[in-house]
Amino acid sequence: MKMKQVAFLFLIFLASQTVYSWKKDEFRACDQTPFCKRARFRKPGACTLIAHDVSISDGDLTAKLIPKAPHDQDQDQIKPLTLSVSVYQDGIMRLKIDEDPSLDPRKKRFQVADVVISEFETKKLWLQSASTEKINGDDGGLSSVVYLSDGYEAVLRHDPFEVYVREKAGNRRVVSLNSHGLFDFEQLRVKKEDEDWEERFRGHTDTRPYGPQSISFDVSFYGSDFVYGIPEHASSFALKPTRGPGVEESEPFRLFNLDVFEYHHESPFGIYGSIPFMVSHGKSGQSSGFFWLNAAEMQIDVLAKGWDAEGGILMPTEQSRIDTFWMSEAGIVDTFFFAGPGPKDVVKQYVSVTGLPAMPQLFSTGYHQCRWNYRDEEDVENVDSKFDEHDIPYDVLWLDIEHTDGKRYFTWDKMLFPHPEEMQRKLAAKGRHMVTIVDPHIKRDESFHLHKDASQRGYYIKDATGKDYDGWCWPGSSSYPDMLNPEIRSWWAEKFSYDNYVGSTPSLYIWNDMNEPSVFNGPEVTMPRDALHLGGVEHRELHNAYGYYFHMATAEGLLKRGDGKDRPFVLSRAFFAGSQRYGAVWTGDNSADWDHLRVSVPMVLTLGLTGMTFSGADVGGFFGNPEPELLVRWYQLGAYYPFFRGHAHHDTKRREPWLFGERNTALMRDAIRIRYTLLPYFYTLFREANVSGVPVVRPLWMEFPSDEAAFSNDEAFMVGNSLLVQGIYTARAKHASVYLPGKESWYDLRTGTAYKGGKVHKLEVSEESIPAFQRAGTIVPRKDRFRRSSTQMVHDPYTLVIALNSSQAAEGELYVDDGKSYDFKHGAYIHRRFVFSNGHLTSSPVGNSRFSSDCIIERVILLGFTPGAKTALVEPGNQTAEIELGPLRFGGQHAAVAVTIRKPGVRVAEDWKIKIL
Amino acid sequence: MRVYSIFILFFIDSFLPSSSSSSSSSSSSSKHHFLGISPQDENYYKSSSDTISCKDGSKKFSKSQFNDDFCDCLDGTDKPGTSACPTAKFYCKNAGHIPQFLFSSRVNDGICDCCDGSDEYDGQVKCPKTCWEAGKVARDRLIKKIATYKEGAALRKLEVEKAKVAIAKEEAELTLLKNEEKVLKVRVGELKEHKELIEKEEEKVRLQKEKEEKGKREVEEDLREKGKADKEGKVEHEKVEEEASTENQLTESTHDDIIGNVEDSSSKEHALENTHESASPTTEDVSSVATEIADDAGSKISPDVDKKENEVLSDISEGISREELGRIVASRWTGESTKNQGETPKDTHDEQYDHHATDIVVDTGKDDNEKYDYEIDDEQDESYEEESHDDMSSYNYDDEPDLSDTTSSYNSSWLEKIQQKARNILKAFNLFQTPVNLTEAATVRKEYVDSSTKLSKIQSRISKLKEKLKHDFGPEKEFYAFYGHCFETNQNKYVYKVCPYKQASQEEGYTSTSLGNWDKFEDSYRMMVFSNGENCWNGPDRSMKVKLRCGLKNEITDVDEPSRCEYVAVLSTPAVCLEDKLKELQHKLDLMNKEQPREHDEL
Repeated sequence: MKMKQVAFLFLIFLASQTVYSWKKDEFRACDQTPFCKRARFRKPGACTLIAHDVSISDGDLTAKLIPKAPHDQDQDQIKPLTLSVSVYQDGIMRLKIDEDPSLDPRKKRFQVADVVISEFETKKLWLQSASTEKINGDDGGLSSVVYLSDGYEAVLRHDPFEVYVREKAGNRRVVSLNSHGLFDFEQLRVKKEDEDWEERFRGHTDTRPYGPQSISFDVSFYGSDFVYGIPEHASSFALKPTRGPGVEESEPFRLFNLDVFEYHHESPFGIYGSIPFMVSHGKSGQSSGFFWLNAAEMQIDVLAKGWDAEGGILMPTEQSRIDTFWMSEAGIVDTFFFAGPGPKDVVKQYVSVTGLPAMPQLFSTGYHQCRWNYRDEEDVENVDSKFDEHDIPYDVLWLDIEHTDGKRYFTWDKMLFPHPEEMQRKLAAKGRHMVTIVDPHIKRDESFHLHKDASQRGYYIKDATGKDYDGWCWPGSSSYPDMLNPEIRSWWAEKFSYDNYVGSTPSLYIWNDMNEPSVFNGPEVTMPRDALHLGGVEHRELHNAYGYYFHMATAEGLLKRGDGKDRPFVLSRAFFAGSQRYGAVWTGDNSADWDHLRVSVPMVLTLGLTGMTFSGADVGGFFGNPEPELLVRWYQLGAYYPFFRGHAHHDTKRREPWLFGERNTALMRDAIRIRYTLLPYFYTLFREANVSGVPVVRPLWMEFPSDEAAFSNDEAFMVGNSLLVQGIYTARAKHASVYLPGKESWYDLRTGTAYKGGKVHKLEVSEESIPAFQRAGTIVPRKDRFRRSSTQMVHDPYTLVIALNSSQAAEGELYVDDGKSYDFKHGAYIHRRFVFSNGHLTSSPVGNSRFSSDCIIERVILLGFTPGAKTALVEPGNQTAEIELGPLRFGGQHAAVAVTIRKPGVRVAEDWKIKIL
Repeated sequence: MRVYSIFILFFIDSFLPSSSSSSSSSSSSSKHHFLGISPQDENYYKSSSDTISCKDGSKKFSKSQFNDDFCDCLDGTDKPGTSACPTAKFYCKNAGHIPQFLFSSRVNDGICDCCDGSDEYDGQVKCPKTCWEAGKVARDRLIKKIATYKEGAALRKLEVEKAKVAIAKEEAELTLLKNEEKVLKVRVGELKEHKELIEKEEEKVRLQKEKEEKGKREVEEDLREKGKADKEGKVEHEKVEEEASTENQLTESTHDDIIGNVEDSSSKEHALENTHESASPTTEDVSSVATEIADDAGSKISPDVDKKENEVLSDISEGISREELGRIVASRWTGESTKNQGETPKDTHDEQYDHHATDIVVDTGKDDNEKYDYEIDDEQDESYEEESHDDMSSYNYDDEPDLSDTTSSYNSSWLEKIQQKARNILKAFNLFQTPVNLTEAATVRKEYVDSSTKLSKIQSRISKLKEKLKHDFGPEKEFYAFYGHCFETNQNKYVYKVCPYKQASQEEGYTSTSLGNWDKFEDSYRMMVFSNGENCWNGPDRSMKVKLRCGLKNEITDVDEPSRCEYVAVLSTPAVCLEDKLKELQHKLDLMNKEQPREHDEL
C-alpha cells in the first residue's frame, strides 16, 4: 500500500513535470505496418518493370509496364500496368499508373475524387508526338521525350522504366520517379488458401478482404538542398532525413489523419491532416515539387545522402540531389511533377491542380476568441463585454461542443443557450460574429432527427459486414455520414439552412472538428480501414480525405445558406490536398509550452507552402496553463498567424487577455491591435493567395530564393513580401539572434531603426514585442484606428508605411472589397499599386475595378527618408500637406521618429500623386 | 447647459477663422471641433494663443489641428472628439443620465454608445436620444439601491453592536474559564493523589484479604461473592487509570477535542471508502496515463505496468468492450470518469455531474494523501462535520460542551461549591483508617472522575473560544454573525454550501465535494476566499470566491464556475452595506437629479 502510494506520487510528479503524454504505443509504427515494413526493406534496383508499347494516345504519352524478365513463380499474377504521362500548362506533368481496367482487375482501385479542380483539365496540352532519344549514361537504352513547357521536357525512360522532368537547356534533371528502381505496385489478386490477410493491432482486426495492394516508389529532387511540405507533422520546416547514414532509427514521415492526444512537438508521426505534396529548394534558387494524389495511409522517407551507397545505381552526380521514398497502402499512382523554377511558381503549379485558397471574409482575418467552453449566454455576454471594457478588439466568439443538446450538433442546450438567436444578434450589433462547432459523428439516438434521417436514408459509412458503422465519440455511440458521396454532401449542406439549423443567424459560422475522423474506440483512435463507403470503396483508400469531404460539404452548406453570396467560413482540423478551397485549418490540440509555440511556426509555414494558407495554432496552447509570459509571447506571435485564435481546454484556467494583470493586459491588447492595424495588409495578402496560391505567411527563401542562410530558418517567417517576424521562444529572453536576409535594410516595426540585410543581428528583446521588421523597398497599408472589431474599421482612413530602399524607392499594394460577398469576382474591388520613387508617391489601379470607398489616406510614413522637406503637394487638386516627425505606431507612448506626411487626404479608390517638395 | 452653449459659441468664434485656412479635409470636420470634451477640460482648450500643448508636453499643435481627425498628441490631447488618437477619451454629456467617457475607438464606429448619441456624428447612423428613459431607469435603480443600503446599514449597525457584546461576553467567558481551568487542574491533581493513595491502601487490603481467604475455606461461598465485587472494582480501577492518562495528555495540549476528532475522522474514513469504491473502475486508466507519462519522460516502463496498459487498450476481446474503450479514450480529453458516463448524457447537467464524479475518482492516488493532510488540519478544526449534519443551515459551537450539569451560568459559586465539596470529602476521608472505608473511596473516585470530565469540557470550550476569537471578523466585527453559519443555495442538482470561517462545499445527495477551506477576506472585505478544496483532475485544487453585496438578508444569490474548479458566488448581506457607500450613492443620485430637467435644451 505504501509502495503504491509512493508510486502514485511519483507518477503525479511526472505528470506535472512532463508536458506531453503522447501515447506512442497506440499508433502503428512503420514496422508494425506490413506494407511500410515490406517497402522499407526493398533494395534499390529491385524494380524490373520496363515501359512497353510506348505511344501517344488521346494527347497522352502512354505505355504498358511489364516485368523485364519473366519471374519464376508469380509470373502469372503479374499483369501489365498502364502508364500515362500528361502535360499541362505552366510546367505541370501528370503521371498515372494503374492496373489495366481491360484486364479485369478484382476491383477498381480508388482514385481520389473531387480534389483536382475541373479547370485543371482545360489546361491540358494535347501531345501530338514524342521523340525517342538515347540519353547519355543510360546504357544505350531508349527514352521517349515530350514537350512540357518552353523550358522543360517530360521524359519516359523505357528500360528500366523511369519518369522525369528535365530542363531543355543542358538536360538538367528536375524531378524524377523510380530512378533508384524502388517502384513496386502490389496488384490485386485472389487470396491463396494458406494466406492470412487479416491484420491485427491492439485488439482491432482489419479484415483486409482485398489483401495487399500497396504502392511504393522513389522520387528524386535535383539541384536541391532541402525538401519541405507533406503536412501535417509537428517538426522542423526543412524535413530531416529519416533514413540513411547519420540518421538514428527514425520513423518515416507518416501521412495518416489522426486525432493524437497531446501530440509531441518534434515527431514525424502523422497528426490531423495530410497533404502529399513536397517542395524542394536548392542553392540555385530553384524549386520543384511533387504531389501524389492518394488518400490512403502514406509513409514518406527522406533519404540522407549516401543512403544508396551499396545499391549500385549510378545517378547523374553533377547535381546535388535529395532522394525520397514514398509508400502508400492502397490507391493508384496519380502524381504531379512541378517544374518550378521559382518557389512561388511551384506553389502556383500546385494550386492550379488542387485549387486556389478561398478568399476569406474580412472578419475572419481578425482575432477569434474561443474556449472549451463558453458555458452559457451570460458567459458569452460577459466575455464579450470584457473585450469592450478593456478596449481590446475581437471579431468572433466561439462555442465548443458543450453548447449543444447532448452533443447533437445543430441543436442548443436549452438550459444554457435558451436564446441563441438573440445572443448572436447582440454580438452582431457590435459587428461581431459567432462560430459553433459541428462535428461529423452523429449521435445514435432515434429521437435525434439527424440520426433518424441519415440512418433511414442509408447515409452512414458501413462496417465491414455492411451494417451502419457504430463508433464512439463525444455523444457516445455515433455514426458517420459518408461524405465521399456527393448526394450525402448535398444532404449535409442542407442542414445549414436557417430553417434546418434552428437558432442560427447570418452571423453564425462553423467549426468542423474531429473529422479525421476521430473514433475513440477505433484502431488508432480512428475508423477501421475495412469500413465501407459509396461504391464499396474501403475506408483505407480514402481515409486521409474524409475530413476534406466533410469540410467541403459544410462549406457548401454555408454557401447555399447565403444563396451563394456569402463567403463561407469553416475551420477544419482534418485536411487534405484541396482543403484550401473550403476554409481555414488550425494545428489542433497543442500544449501550453514554449516548444509548441516554437513548432507552430514551421507547422504554419508548411501548411502555407502546401496551399493551406489560412492556418494558425491555438494561441496559448490548448492543453495546460500558460504562464503569463508565454501567453503574451504567443499573442505577439499569433498576431501574425494567418488564422489568429485563442483557445483552451476546459480543464485550464480562464485566460482571456485581461486576466493577468494590467501590464499583461496591455501587452496582449497591443499584440492584438498590431494585427488589427495590419488587417488591410493581411487582407491584401489573402487576395494574393486567392489569385496565386502564394501563402500569406511564407518562408524567408520564398522571398530570397538564393539566400542559402535562409533555407532552413524556421524561427522567422515572412508575412507577405514586406514583413519579417521572429517569435521569442524562451522564457525571460534578453536577446534574440535574428537573421535578416537580402541586401537591403530592414526597419524595426516598433522603433523604425534600420538594420542591414544579409546578416545575423543580436538584438535586445523587450517584453513589449517580438522582433518584427519591414523590408526596405516595400509599402505596407495600415489602419491605425482601433475599433471593437474589423467591422467598424471599414470607413477608417489608411496609413501607408513606406520603407525606402537604397535607391529611395519602394512599392506595395492594397486590395479592398466588401469583405463578405463574391462581388469581387465581378470586379467589385479596389486594387491599388503604390510606387514611391524620385520623391513621388503614386497610386495606380491594378486590373479593372469597380468598387467605391469613402476611405482616405490620413498619413504617409516614410522610413529611411532623409528628413528636411516640409510640405508635399497632392495631385490632383494641388493641395499641400505638411510633413513633420510623427510616431511609427499608436496605442502607447511612442516617440516621434518617422517622417510623416500629415493628412494628404487622398481617396484610396482614386489615382493620385503625392510629391514631396 | 447654458454654460455649454456659451462654450460652443466661443469655440466657433475662436476656431473657425483659423480652420478655414487649413487644408480642405480638416475644414469638413470643423463643425465637430467642440465635441467630446469634458467640462473639466473646457478651460484647457480656451487659451487665447494659437497653439495648445499636448498634456504630456510632447508637442504643441495649432488650433486648426484641434479635433481635426488626425492624431498629433500621443496622449490624445488634441482629439477628444474623434477616433484618431487611440488613447483619447470621448466625453458624452448624456444630459438626463450619467456623463460618460468613451474609448476613442467608439467614436463614429456606427454603434450608438452615448445615450445622447453624441459619439456618432458622421452621418452613418442616426442614434436615438435615450438619456431621459435610460436615466430614469438608472435613477430608479439607484433609488432602490439606496433604499437597500439605508436599511442594510441599519441592520449592519445592529449586527455590529450585537457582535461587540457577544465578543465581549465570549472574551469574559474565556478569562473565566481559564481561571476555572487553573483551579480545577489543581483540584484534579489533588484528587488524583488521594485516589492513588486510596488505591494503594485498597491494594494492600486486597492482598491481605486474599491471604486470609486462602485460609478461610468454610466461608468460601461468602468470599466468592466478595471476590466478584472485587473484580468489578478492579475493572473500574483500570478504567479510571485509563482516563487519568488521557487527562494527562489533555492537560498538556490545550486545544484537543478528542471526541470530536474521533467522530470526525471516522466520517472521513467513510468518505474515503466511497471514493475508493468509485475509483476502482478507472484505476487502469489512471495507471495507463501514468505509464505513458513515464514512457515519454524517457524512462523505461516497468513491464507489468506496460502489460496493464496493453490489457486495457489492446486486448479488447478479452477485457473491455469497445464502448469502454471509447469512453477511456474520450476521458483523456475530458478527464471524465469512464464509469459514470454509462448513461449517455441527456443534458449537460448530467455531464457536469460526471465531471465531478470523475474528479473525485481519478485523483484517488493523490486524494489519499490529501485526506491525510486534511485530517491533520481537522484536529484543530473541531467537529464541523457531524454538527453541520445535524443542522444543514448552520453549525453552532455554543451548544456544544455540556457544562450544564455543573452550572447554568459561569459564576464563582459553582466553582466554590465544587471546591467545598472536594474539601469536605477529603476531610471526611481518614486516610489512615483501616480497613478502608469503601464508600468514601468510591466518593473520591467519583469526584475525581467528575472533576476531570469537567476539566476536559472546560478545556475544550476554551480551545473553541480561542479558535473562534482569533478569526478576522472585519474592521467592525460585522462578520461575527457569519461564524458558525452556513449559507446554502440550490443550483440545478447541487446544493452549494458556504460556511464562512470553515469551508465551502458542493453537495449532491450524500456526496460532498470540498470547494475550499476558509482562507481569508480579500478586496477590502468585499470578498471571502476559500482555497485548497479537493483537487481537480488535470486541474487546480478547487477554490471558491464569494463576492459580498449589500442586501437585507444573508443569502447566496448566485454560484458560477467561470473556470473549471474555480467557483464564484455572490452573497448578499447587510454586513457590507457601508455608510460611506450610501453617501456616495446619494451623491450620485443628487448629481443625476440635477441634470434631468434640462431635456428640452438638448433638443
